Amino acid sequence: MVKPLSIKNLVKNFGGLTATDDISFDLEEGQSTGLIGPNGAGKTTIFSQIMGEYRQTSGIIELYGSDISKLSTPARIRLGISRTYQVPRPFSDFSVLENIRVGLMPDSIWKMITQGPNREREIELALSVGFSEDDLQQTPDTLSMGDLRKLEMARTMATNPKIMLLDEVFAGLTVGEINQIAKLIQNMRKENMTFLIVSHDLKALEPLVDDAIAINYGKIIAQGAFSEVISDSAVRTSYLGTE
Amino acid sequence: MGLGLKWYHFALWIGFIIFMLLMPEMVSKGTLRTIIFANFLAIFAISWDILSGRTGYISFGHPFLIGIGAYTTAILTKRFDVGVEYAIPLAIAMTMIGGTIMFLPALRIKGSYFALVSLAFMELMYQLVQVIRPDLTGGTRGMSGLVTLTRGAVNGYYLSFTIMIIVALSMWLLMRTRLGTALSAIALNEESVKGSGLSPTKLKLFAFMTSAFVAGLGGAFYVHYLGSIAPRALFDINFVFTIIVATLIGGASTIVGPMFGAFFLTFLLEYLRPYLPGAERYLIYGVIALLLYMYQPKGLYQIMINQFNRFKKDEDDG
Ligand SMILES: Nc1ncnc2c1ncn2[C@@H]1O[C@H](COP(=O)(O)OP(=O)(O)O)[C@@H](O)[C@H]1O
Ligand SMILES: [Mg+2]
Repeated sequence: MVKPLSIKNLVKNFGGLTATDDISFDLEEGQSTGLIGPNGAGKTTIFSQIMGEYRQTSGIIELYGSDISKLSTPARIRLGISRTYQVPRPFSDFSVLENIRVGLMPDSIWKMITQGPNREREIELALSVGFSEDDLQQTPDTLSMGDLRKLEMARTMATNPKIMLLDEVFAGLTVGEINQIAKLIQNMRKENMTFLIVSHDLKALEPLVDDAIAINYGKIIAQGAFSEVISDSAVRTSYLGTE
Repeated sequence: MGLGLKWYHFALWIGFIIFMLLMPEMVSKGTLRTIIFANFLAIFAISWDILSGRTGYISFGHPFLIGIGAYTTAILTKRFDVGVEYAIPLAIAMTMIGGTIMFLPALRIKGSYFALVSLAFMELMYQLVQVIRPDLTGGTRGMSGLVTLTRGAVNGYYLSFTIMIIVALSMWLLMRTRLGTALSAIALNEESVKGSGLSPTKLKLFAFMTSAFVAGLGGAFYVHYLGSIAPRALFDINFVFTIIVATLIGGASTIVGPMFGAFFLTFLLEYLRPYLPGAERYLIYGVIALLLYMYQPKGLYQIMINQFNRFKKDEDDG
């Protein structure tokens, strides 16, 4: 079976610092994997390399069996992989709907001109992440952290991914908002979305993942069922002092 | 296409066009000549708005583009006896190539760095037309005795208005499509444009080429209106500021705003001329632009929209 995402011997050096140190793993079709590790372990850097925002120093990233290492970020997104950011990055002057509109656009100037926005889809996406009708015309400066994360999810979902990488989806959210986002992820899992989810909130993460990968100092230190990974002694030690 | 057009859009455009077509009946020849300049300034401001107002890549070098259009058709018609029907399209094509050259630095740099580089383009061209082949360009003195397309103020007015209104309407419609949204998104967050699966490079190239198309069109017709080229007036930072200020006081990123900004500014400069014949009047309009900006940063366009909405609300309330 060809894997949706396959990472082989990924290395990323920032000067003297090795942020990703020979990392290899696969994601399984329709499965959800947790990526955990203390601050600075290298989780976000892995995402950035998968999306092509950072070029890896060495190693291979394959999407459905083909090497995407030379592709630009938009080209990777068109192949069906998309991510959210730890710090949400909405378009500041745009309404919720306009933000989603950009994600829904095809990368073709001709189609942008000749085809109008798909308003029903924009609204459907906004409502599906938990916005209310009243929120649709709001701009990001009036939104709470929870709403910004919802918008980040909606913008990412708008690109129609088959694989979603979620970076610290629960950071800064209330319990109610965590439940909302968790429900959304569960719904997408039922629809066979493949996930790689980074979260510090292990309790919130547990029900959302099939298994987990723990990293520290850019290296994989444990991998397997979530419960086994978090009870691994190396993982527990790595988290000491950071929680 | 989802342009979101309402009945009042048609009404306003048609009303405006009729009003402008009747203009020669209402005003003196002198005023008409002033409006001709306003029409050309509007074209240049719209060109600037497509690029800088939308994408945030501020061009301080727009005369570089306008100049390519102007010089290409001037040289072709005067030195090589090419007919305007070929010279003007060629001039526009050359300007679009110029737009592509100006786009290259925008691959790597943005913000004030890009603005400075674009200014360097203008300066470079100013130096080049004086040094390289002055037998073709006319060197420092420029060129005169070029073909003019119209005779008299009335015809000049109709031609300039026709070009201006076609540019304004088509660009206004174009920017109401999703493309306009995508170009605005570049100014807001280029990284997030990429993260939405869109190539900012493609979008920026399109903005530069479209802006250059309009600049080349305006530049070419402008020399065939004036019948001359004066490099010192063309490659002048005051000309750059006039274009930018017209756009900003009109309302950047709206197309219609820069058009009205150009009219407003042209008349302001015209009325200030008797009192302030020198360059001081640029200072005055700087101050006026600043005051307007402080009152309504989105420009005259927003003031008009607000008035219109109030009017509509009164109507709705009975
Ligand atoms: N652009 C960069 N330049 C230099 N060092 C970086 C850069 N991005 C991340 N790092 C370093 O790489 C390491 C991993 O960072 P990151 O991937 O953000 O960790 P995590 O997301 O797991 O908290 C950290 O030591 C961080 O300081
Ligand atoms: Mg991180």
